[in-house]
Amino acid sequence: MSASRLQQLKGHILPENKLTGMAVSPSPLTTHVLNIEKGVPGSNMALSLYRKNPSTSAWDLITTAATNDDGRCPGLITKQSFTPGVYKMHFDTDQYWKSMGESGFYPYVEIVFTVSEPVQKYHVPLLLSRFSYSTYRGS
Amino acid sequence: LHLLQHLQTNNFSSADLCPLTTHVLNTGDGIPAAKLDLSLHRLDPRMMVWSMLSVGTTNADGRCPALISREHFLPGMYKLRFETGSYWENRGETSFYPYVEVVFRISEAEQKFHLPLLMSRFSYSTYRGS
Repeated sequence: MSASRLQQLKGHILPENKLTGMAVSPSPLTTHVLNIEKGVPGSNMALSLYRKNPSTSAWDLITTAATNDDGRCPGLITKQSFTPGVYKMHFDTDQYWKSMGESGFYPYVEIVFTVSEPVQKYHVPLLLSRFSYSTYRGS
Repeated sequence: LHLLQHLQTNNFSSADLCPLTTHVLNTGDGIPAAKLDLSLHRLDPRMMVWSMLSVGTTNADGRCPALISREHFLPGMYKLRFETGSYWENRGETSFYPYVEVVFRISEAEQKFHLPLLMSRFSYSTYRGS
């Protein structure tokens, strides 16, 4: 088997960290933003992930990121940090619509959800139009 | 007499008196979500804090009349908070979301706004309806 073919196979099995070239475990929590008004991924949408601090009840910021061209956001959280608790995903929908010269009904969307078994995978997508949105626990 | 009663009922939920309405549906069981607690809040633009305007509980049809009156319905940023976690708990079930908050912007307060919530234990959706 050629070296390049081996590299290809490795890429299918394990996502690579482009900086170090080392394989990183995929985030146990993923999202996918879809613009159902246009039938395209919701790309370049700013979002943040928070965990509720059990002692203070304040929201601790874990990650600030933006969706890629496919509306996804790899590397939201590491397996080690993904402890049981209440999490919140904040999507900056205002900024998203403004960047397309439009305005939506919802200035932002926050989805608050409970993680009880962090060994599982949690997929929290957002299907969005200017006047509607939906979410579900996916896979 | 029936027609008169119908007209009188409609008057209580006319756009003049009830500019903001909601309807919560339990799509998991295919029924209205009755006895679900909810609250309406408005963001104070100067202090950037949420003030609670009203609390209510959905009736047998999953609706909550008289959320806010026309005179109090000013332009601004509002939040409807649905106590969905408690709703499922009362039915002896768990759910993925402890509560649902829908934040929306009202720029033309003379219009009528209908914000339904369709929800199951593991999903929910909302839209601006009529």
